[in-house]
Amino acid sequence: MTLAFKPAETFRKDFTYRNSEAGILRFPFPFAEDTYMYSVNIEPHLPGGPSPAYDHAFDVDEHYVAECKERAIVLAEDPNRCKVLPHMTEAQWDTLELIMESFAKDYPEHFSLQKNGTRWSWENRPLGLKDSFTFGDLSSLPYEPFEYITRQAQGDFTLQDQRDNNLFVDGGMVTTQADWSLEFDIGMTFHEWHGPVPLAHQLGVFDRALKFLLRLQYGQPVRRLNWTMTINPRLDTSPENYPVWGPDRNTVTPENVAQKVHLRVELQTLFRLPRSNAILFGIRCYLASVAELARVEKWRKRLHRVLRDLPPELEDYKGLTRYRKLVVDYLAPFDDGAPLSRGPQPDQTIL
Amino acid sequence: MLVSGIVSRPKYEPFALDPSGRSHLIVADHPAPPGDFGPTPASNAPIEIWCVCTNPRTTAEASQNGRAVSRSFRSTAHLLDQLDKRLARELVGLRIYAVGIESFVWDVARLARKFGMEKGEYRLTHKGSERRRVYCIHCRAYTEDVTTNIVSCSGCGASLLVRDHYSRRLAAFMGVQVDAEVPGDVPAIEEAFP
Repeated sequence: MTLAFKPAETFRKDFTYRNSEAGILRFPFPFAEDTYMYSVNIEPHLPGGPSPAYDHAFDVDEHYVAECKERAIVLAEDPNRCKVLPHMTEAQWDTLELIMESFAKDYPEHFSLQKNGTRWSWENRPLGLKDSFTFGDLSSLPYEPFEYITRQAQGDFTLQDQRDNNLFVDGGMVTTQADWSLEFDIGMTFHEWHGPVPLAHQLGVFDRALKFLLRLQYGQPVRRLNWTMTINPRLDTSPENYPVWGPDRNTVTPENVAQKVHLRVELQTLFRLPRSNAILFGIRCYLASVAELARVEKWRKRLHRVLRDLPPELEDYKGLTRYRKLVVDYLAPFDDGAPLSRGPQPDQTIL
Repeated sequence: MLVSGIVSRPKYEPFALDPSGRSHLIVADHPAPPGDFGPTPASNAPIEIWCVCTNPRTTAEASQNGRAVSRSFRSTAHLLDQLDKRLARELVGLRIYAVGIESFVWDVARLARKFGMEKGEYRLTHKGSERRRVYCIHCRAYTEDVTTNIVSCSGCGASLLVRDHYSRRLAAFMGVQVDAEVPGDVPAIEEAFP
């Protein structure tokens, strides 16, 4: 598929972000069943799956250019959204290499990487960038390597250092987050970092996930999905800016609910890095409005059932309290209660 | 957002000297006679006790107090300033024991880490008030000695809900604007951290 970027769309103020019909159909819908509860739900990050969003190590879609622009706006307001602790320099180069090589291999029409020993040339055509640098030499790039490359990628990234049989979140680029703060959490252990998540600790989810991730192998990345909901297609729902976006939650009405409320899906990917032995954690955010999702018959029914029966702790944690019922009421008339196929795939190829 | 029972909340060990220490430095944010710290190990490792007397006339002169050498400081800031200088010229084998409110013991931990001390070389014991240092996630100002569930930020003035989420690096709890969604909708303010 040839990508038609939409560089002018916005994730703030006038919120012109929309999905094309192809964009809707490739949405990584997170609900394989009619009910939702936390689970470790980690699977190998291999090409293929119920959506083309899983076809590459790092998915590039029609929103690529606009999302990179949005990231630059957030960083100009708040440079602390990108932070890497000093002992993570090797992991920074690992990240740059992994993303550059993946982009150049998976999207050769948009990205090229040429290597001549440690002398590398990188071209990013959608963003109009062309840089030559020396791999391993910090002074040869306009930013530190991790910031340089994650400014050119969609979704957030964190770097986990592995020591003392634990993972420490010792770096990150976090501008499109569902309400967690890198500035506050940097340096934390795996369990501390996930401290605010309800229920999952008691279910042993984090114990199992940590055990699994400590054994993550180079060349065998894994992925999982997470989700929440966001009012307006706003990527920057950070705790830092909660006073800016929090009031949006009171703007939902029966008339605008389908346009305003968005399902926010995170495609989370984890890669062991070769030199540093750190883990790169990609948190790629996809947004689709309830109206867009409701164009898929299976999804409008399933979304209705999941939201209707959501445990109250999750409703609170995900911040849905003020508008969940409006969404359920909007979707209810579309749901005849008929059984739906297992799995998240849309079961239709045109809208 | 307002979930409690958060596991980033640190747990503390009761005070005990580490027998493997070559020397011991106990720092407390309150007046602390040596007897406070129980029986001392049989080894000859020197013991120092630094404490805070909150009195401008206090002098930090060292005095011999049984086996221990004691010094008193005028404030926690005074003590931490001296600790910074002391650790800069310290040798391997020192054990630090911080005893006091959470913001104090984590300030000590931060200094210890700054000078390359590992976990196990510094030990933290929470003693005294539960009052908290709160970091405003919106403007990054710190508000000290918070005893209520909601506090006005010393920086931006927002009414901050004090969460249980704790950053050891910032030595502070997270404060989040409680009426961000509905301005003025502030729940009753209650004594929470006596």
